[in-house]
Amino acid sequence: MIQPKNEFLRLLGHELGKHPEKEQILAEYENHLAEMLSELNCDDMEEKETMTELYSRLGSPEEIAASWKEELSVTPRKTQWLFIIANLVFFAGGSILTLLHNLYDIRLIDMVWRSLTSIPALIIMLYLIFWALLGYEIGKGFGHKGRKLMRRTFVLSILPNIILMNLTLFKLIPHGWFQPLLSPSFIMICILFTALLYPICWAGYRWGKRASV
Amino acid sequence: MFNRELLKGSTSLVLLQLLNERDMYGYELVKELDKRSDHSLQVKEGTLYPALHKLEKQEYIEFYWQEQEKGPARKYYRITDAGRAVLVEKTKEWQQFVSVMNKVIRRTENDPT
Repeated sequence: MIQPKNEFLRLLGHELGKHPEKEQILAEYENHLAEMLSELNCDDMEEKETMTELYSRLGSPEEIAASWKEELSVTPRKTQWLFIIANLVFFAGGSILTLLHNLYDIRLIDMVWRSLTSIPALIIMLYLIFWALLGYEIGKGFGHKGRKLMRRTFVLSILPNIILMNLTLFKLIPHGWFQPLLSPSFIMICILFTALLYPICWAGYRWGKRASV
Repeated sequence: MFNRELLKGSTSLVLLQLLNERDMYGYELVKELDKRSDHSLQVKEGTLYPALHKLEKQEYIEFYWQEQEKGPARKYYRITDAGRAVLVEKTKEWQQFVSVMNKVIRRTENDPT
Protein backbone atom coordinates (compact mmCIF):
# COMPACT_ATOMS: atom_id res chain seq x y z
CA MET A 1 0.00 0.00 0.00
CA ILE A 2 2.27 2.74 -1.31
CA GLN A 3 -0.32 5.43 -1.98
CA PRO A 4 -1.30 6.34 1.64
CA LYS A 5 2.38 6.34 2.67
CA ASN A 6 3.38 8.67 -0.15
CA GLU A 7 0.36 10.87 0.43
CA PHE A 8 1.14 11.17 4.14
CA LEU A 9 4.79 11.98 3.41
CA ARG A 10 3.79 14.52 0.75
CA LEU A 11 1.49 16.31 3.22
CA LEU A 12 4.12 16.19 5.96
CA GLY A 13 6.78 17.53 3.56
CA HIS A 14 4.44 20.35 2.60
CA GLU A 15 3.77 21.22 6.26
CA LEU A 16 7.48 21.16 7.13
CA GLY A 17 8.12 23.75 4.41
CA LYS A 18 11.76 24.76 3.92
CA HIS A 19 12.96 22.95 6.96
CA PRO A 20 16.78 22.48 7.08
CA GLU A 21 16.48 18.87 8.28
CA LYS A 22 13.45 18.04 6.13
CA GLU A 23 14.99 15.16 4.17
CA GLN A 24 16.26 13.38 7.30
CA ILE A 25 12.93 13.86 9.06
CA LEU A 26 10.96 12.49 6.12
CA ALA A 27 13.32 9.50 5.80
CA GLU A 28 12.64 8.56 9.41
CA TYR A 29 8.87 8.84 8.98
CA GLU A 30 9.08 6.83 5.76
CA ASN A 31 10.66 3.96 7.68
CA HIS A 32 8.08 4.27 10.43
CA LEU A 33 5.20 4.24 7.93
CA ALA A 34 6.63 1.23 6.11
CA GLU A 35 6.83 -0.74 9.37
CA MET A 36 3.36 0.36 10.40
CA LEU A 37 1.75 -0.50 7.07
CA SER A 38 3.37 -3.91 6.94
CA GLU A 39 2.07 -4.60 10.45
CA LEU A 40 -1.42 -3.35 9.62
CA ASN A 41 -1.61 -5.75 6.69
CA CYS A 42 -3.72 -3.19 4.92
CA ASP A 43 -4.20 -5.04 1.64
CA ASP A 44 -7.79 -5.65 2.72
CA MET A 45 -8.31 -2.05 3.79
CA GLU A 46 -9.64 0.83 1.77
CA GLU A 47 -7.18 3.67 1.20
CA LYS A 48 -9.34 6.04 3.20
CA GLU A 49 -9.49 3.57 6.06
CA THR A 50 -5.69 3.25 6.01
CA MET A 51 -5.23 7.02 6.06
CA THR A 52 -7.61 7.27 9.04
CA GLU A 53 -5.52 4.67 10.88
CA LEU A 54 -2.28 6.51 10.05
CA TYR A 55 -3.71 9.80 11.31
CA SER A 56 -5.01 8.14 14.45
CA ARG A 57 -1.66 6.58 15.37
CA LEU A 58 0.83 9.12 14.08
CA GLY A 59 -1.18 12.33 14.41
CA SER A 60 -1.95 14.57 11.46
CA PRO A 61 0.91 16.00 9.33
CA GLU A 62 -0.04 19.45 10.73
CA GLU A 63 0.35 18.19 14.32
CA ILE A 64 3.68 16.52 13.55
CA ALA A 65 5.03 19.59 11.71
CA ALA A 66 3.93 21.80 14.64
CA SER A 67 5.90 19.57 17.06
CA TRP A 68 8.97 19.85 14.85
CA LYS A 69 8.65 23.61 14.50
CA GLU A 70 8.37 23.93 18.28
CA GLU A 71 11.40 21.69 18.80
CA LEU A 72 13.53 23.43 16.19
CA SER A 73 12.58 26.95 17.22
CA VAL A 74 15.03 26.71 20.13
CA THR A 75 18.54 26.79 18.67
CA PRO A 76 21.84 27.49 20.45
CA ARG A 77 22.54 30.50 18.23
CA LYS A 78 19.11 32.08 18.85
CA THR A 79 19.35 31.55 22.61
CA GLN A 80 22.89 32.93 22.74
CA TRP A 81 22.00 36.11 20.83
CA LEU A 82 18.79 36.61 22.79
CA PHE A 83 20.76 36.97 26.03
CA ILE A 84 23.64 38.95 24.52
CA ILE A 85 21.16 41.41 22.99
CA ALA A 86 19.09 41.60 26.20
CA ASN A 87 22.23 42.55 28.14
CA LEU A 88 23.24 45.06 25.45
CA VAL A 89 19.76 46.62 25.55
CA PHE A 90 20.11 46.92 29.32
CA PHE A 91 23.47 48.66 28.87
CA ALA A 92 22.29 50.88 26.01
CA GLY A 93 19.25 51.92 28.08
CA GLY A 94 21.46 52.77 31.06
CA SER A 95 23.99 54.65 28.88
CA ILE A 96 21.34 56.71 27.09
CA LEU A 97 19.66 57.56 30.40
CA THR A 98 23.03 58.60 31.92
CA LEU A 99 23.93 60.76 28.93
CA LEU A 100 20.51 62.42 28.78
CA HIS A 101 20.58 63.05 32.51
CA ASN A 102 24.07 64.64 32.37
CA LEU A 103 23.86 66.55 29.11
CA TYR A 104 20.26 67.80 29.11
CA ASP A 105 17.88 69.17 31.64
CA ILE A 106 14.78 67.07 31.07
CA ARG A 107 12.41 66.79 34.02
CA LEU A 108 11.12 63.31 33.20
CA ILE A 109 14.67 61.96 32.73
CA ASP A 110 15.72 63.51 36.04
CA MET A 111 12.76 61.87 37.75
CA VAL A 112 13.57 58.43 36.26
CA TRP A 113 17.27 58.85 37.18
CA ARG A 114 16.48 59.78 40.78
CA SER A 115 13.98 56.91 41.13
CA LEU A 116 16.42 54.33 39.79
CA THR A 117 19.44 55.54 41.78
CA SER A 118 17.37 55.36 44.97
CA ILE A 119 16.88 51.58 44.54
CA PRO A 120 20.33 50.18 43.62
CA ALA A 121 19.85 47.01 45.70
CA LEU A 122 16.66 46.13 43.81
CA ILE A 123 18.34 46.76 40.45
CA ILE A 124 21.28 44.55 41.43
CA MET A 125 18.88 41.79 42.52
CA LEU A 126 16.95 41.97 39.24
CA TYR A 127 20.20 41.90 37.32
CA LEU A 128 21.38 38.81 39.21
CA ILE A 129 18.08 37.14 38.33
CA PHE A 130 18.78 37.92 34.65
CA TRP A 131 22.07 35.97 34.83
CA ALA A 132 20.44 33.09 36.70
CA LEU A 133 17.75 33.01 34.01
CA LEU A 134 20.41 32.93 31.29
CA GLY A 135 21.89 29.77 32.83
CA TYR A 136 18.48 28.24 33.55
CA GLU A 137 17.14 28.65 30.00
CA ILE A 138 20.29 27.17 28.47
CA GLY A 139 20.26 24.26 30.94
CA LYS A 140 16.59 23.56 30.32
CA GLY A 141 16.78 23.81 26.54
CA PHE A 142 20.12 22.15 25.87
CA GLY A 143 20.73 19.95 28.91
CA HIS A 144 24.18 18.38 29.09
CA LYS A 145 25.25 19.94 25.79
CA GLY A 146 24.36 23.40 27.09
CA ARG A 147 27.40 23.79 29.34
CA LYS A 148 29.67 25.02 26.50
CA LEU A 149 26.93 27.28 25.20
CA MET A 150 26.40 28.68 28.68
CA ARG A 151 30.11 29.50 29.05
CA ARG A 152 30.30 31.08 25.60
CA THR A 153 27.12 33.14 26.11
CA PHE A 154 28.36 34.23 29.53
CA VAL A 155 31.73 35.42 28.18
CA LEU A 156 30.15 37.33 25.29
CA SER A 157 27.41 38.82 27.47
CA ILE A 158 29.77 39.95 30.22
CA LEU A 159 32.00 41.99 27.85
CA PRO A 160 29.98 45.25 28.16
CA ASN A 161 30.11 44.89 31.97
CA ILE A 162 33.89 44.47 31.97
CA ILE A 163 34.39 47.37 29.55
CA LEU A 164 32.16 49.72 31.58
CA MET A 165 33.80 48.67 34.83
CA ASN A 166 37.28 49.45 33.47
CA LEU A 167 36.17 52.74 31.93
CA THR A 168 34.75 53.75 35.30
CA LEU A 169 37.62 52.46 37.44
CA PHE A 170 40.22 54.25 35.31
CA LYS A 171 38.03 57.36 35.26
CA LEU A 172 37.66 57.39 31.48
CA ILE A 173 34.01 58.06 32.25
CA PRO A 174 33.67 60.99 34.70
CA HIS A 175 32.61 59.69 38.11
CA GLY A 176 30.38 62.74 38.47
CA TRP A 177 28.08 61.30 35.78
CA PHE A 178 27.01 58.48 38.05
CA GLN A 179 26.41 60.49 41.21
CA PRO A 180 25.03 59.77 43.73
CA LEU A 181 25.75 56.07 43.00
CA LEU A 182 29.53 55.97 42.73
CA SER A 183 30.65 55.71 46.31
CA PRO A 184 33.71 53.49 47.02
CA SER A 185 31.43 50.97 48.76
CA PHE A 186 29.12 50.81 45.71
CA ILE A 187 32.13 50.23 43.40
CA MET A 188 33.26 47.37 45.70
CA ILE A 189 29.75 45.89 45.67
CA CYS A 190 29.71 46.05 41.86
CA ILE A 191 33.08 44.25 41.60
CA LEU A 192 31.95 41.62 44.11
CA PHE A 193 28.65 41.00 42.34
CA THR A 194 30.34 40.85 38.93
CA ALA A 195 32.60 38.11 40.33
CA LEU A 196 29.45 36.35 41.56
CA LEU A 197 27.75 36.41 38.14
CA TYR A 198 29.41 33.24 36.85
CA PRO A 199 28.55 31.09 39.90
CA ILE A 200 24.98 32.42 39.73
CA CYS A 201 24.77 31.65 36.02
CA TRP A 202 26.21 28.17 36.64
CA ALA A 203 23.69 27.49 39.43
CA GLY A 204 20.90 28.58 37.06
CA TYR A 205 22.27 26.21 34.43
CA ARG A 206 22.36 23.27 36.88
CA TRP A 207 18.80 24.02 37.94
CA GLY A 208 17.67 24.29 34.31
CA LYS A 209 19.45 21.05 33.42
CA ARG A 210 17.40 19.26 36.05
CA ALA A 211 14.27 20.48 34.27
CA SER A 212 15.57 19.49 30.83
CA VAL A 213 14.06 15.98 30.97
CA MET B 1 -5.48 5.60 28.77
CA PHE B 2 -3.94 8.39 30.83
CA ASN B 3 -4.22 12.11 30.59
CA ARG B 4 -2.04 13.15 27.65
CA GLU B 5 -0.43 16.02 29.58
CA LEU B 6 0.67 13.59 32.30
CA LEU B 7 2.34 11.41 29.68
CA LYS B 8 3.86 14.38 27.84
CA GLY B 9 5.85 15.37 30.91
CA SER B 10 7.34 11.91 31.28
CA THR B 11 7.99 10.92 27.65
CA SER B 12 11.71 11.78 27.83
CA LEU B 13 12.15 9.75 31.00
CA VAL B 14 10.40 6.73 29.44
CA LEU B 15 12.49 6.99 26.26
CA LEU B 16 15.74 7.21 28.23
CA GLN B 17 14.71 4.20 30.32
CA LEU B 18 13.95 2.07 27.25
CA LEU B 19 17.21 3.10 25.56
CA ASN B 20 19.13 2.36 28.74
CA GLU B 21 18.23 -1.29 28.21
CA ARG B 22 19.21 -1.53 24.55
CA ASP B 23 19.63 0.52 21.38
CA MET B 24 16.33 0.86 19.53
CA TYR B 25 14.88 2.52 16.43
CA GLY B 26 11.78 4.72 16.50
CA TYR B 27 9.14 2.13 15.62
CA GLU B 28 10.67 -0.36 18.03
CA LEU B 29 10.45 2.21 20.84
CA VAL B 30 6.74 2.72 20.15
CA LYS B 31 6.02 -1.01 20.18
CA GLU B 32 8.08 -1.59 23.32
CA LEU B 33 6.33 1.25 25.14
CA ASP B 34 2.94 -0.09 24.09
CA LYS B 35 3.81 -3.64 25.17
CA ARG B 36 5.31 -2.66 28.55
CA SER B 37 2.40 -0.45 29.47
CA ASP B 38 -0.24 -3.02 28.44
CA HIS B 39 -1.41 -0.56 25.78
CA SER B 40 -2.02 2.15 28.41
CA LEU B 41 0.71 4.58 27.37
CA GLN B 42 -0.14 5.48 23.83
CA VAL B 43 1.77 8.43 22.43
CA LYS B 44 1.01 10.00 19.09
CA GLU B 45 3.76 8.16 17.25
CA GLY B 46 4.55 11.14 15.03
CA THR B 47 5.49 13.30 18.00
CA LEU B 48 8.00 10.74 19.25
CA TYR B 49 10.66 11.87 16.79
CA PRO B 50 10.78 15.53 17.89
CA ALA B 51 11.16 14.20 21.47
CA LEU B 52 14.07 12.01 20.36
CA HIS B 53 15.58 14.97 18.50
CA LYS B 54 15.42 17.05 21.68
CA LEU B 55 17.21 14.36 23.70
CA GLU B 56 19.83 14.12 20.97
CA LYS B 57 20.27 17.92 20.95
CA GLN B 58 20.86 17.73 24.71
CA GLU B 59 23.46 14.95 24.21
CA TYR B 60 21.46 12.48 26.30
CA ILE B 61 21.19 10.12 23.33
CA GLU B 62 22.96 9.69 20.01
CA PHE B 63 22.09 7.83 16.80
CA TYR B 64 23.63 5.66 14.11
CA TRP B 65 22.28 4.18 10.90
CA GLN B 66 22.24 0.42 10.49
CA GLU B 67 21.78 -1.28 7.14
CA GLN B 68 19.11 -3.99 6.94
CA GLU B 69 19.15 -7.15 4.87
CA LYS B 70 15.68 -6.22 3.70
CA GLY B 71 14.44 -2.70 3.39
CA PRO B 72 16.01 0.69 4.05
CA ALA B 73 18.62 1.46 6.74
CA ARG B 74 17.25 2.05 10.24
CA LYS B 75 18.17 4.94 12.53
CA TYR B 76 19.08 3.44 15.90
CA TYR B 77 19.25 5.51 19.08
CA ARG B 78 21.53 4.81 22.01
CA ILE B 79 21.86 6.45 25.41
CA THR B 80 25.02 8.42 26.32
CA ASP B 81 26.80 8.61 29.68
CA ALA B 82 25.17 12.01 30.32
CA GLY B 83 21.80 10.40 29.48
CA ARG B 84 22.42 7.62 32.02
CA ALA B 85 23.33 10.17 34.69
CA VAL B 86 20.21 12.24 34.09
CA LEU B 87 18.10 9.07 34.01
CA VAL B 88 19.35 8.06 37.48
CA GLU B 89 18.62 11.55 38.80
CA LYS B 90 15.15 11.84 37.26
CA THR B 91 14.13 8.28 38.18
CA LYS B 92 14.98 9.03 41.81
CA GLU B 93 12.97 12.25 41.65
CA TRP B 94 10.04 10.44 40.01
CA GLN B 95 10.04 7.69 42.64
CA GLN B 96 10.03 10.27 45.42
CA PHE B 97 7.13 12.05 43.74
CA VAL B 98 5.14 8.83 43.36
CA SER B 99 5.84 7.90 46.98
CA VAL B 100 4.64 11.28 48.25
CA MET B 101 1.56 11.21 46.00
CA ASN B 102 0.71 7.70 47.23
CA LYS B 103 0.93 8.85 50.82
CA VAL B 104 -1.30 11.84 50.13
CA ILE B 105 -3.85 9.84 48.14
CA ARG B 106 -3.93 7.04 50.72
CA ARG B 107 -4.57 9.60 53.44
CA THR B 108 -7.37 11.13 51.37
CA GLU B 109 -8.90 7.70 50.70
CA ASN B 110 -8.94 6.89 54.39
CA ASP B 111 -10.43 10.23 55.30
CA PRO B 112 -12.24 11.59 52.24
CA THR B 113 -13.66 14.56 54.17
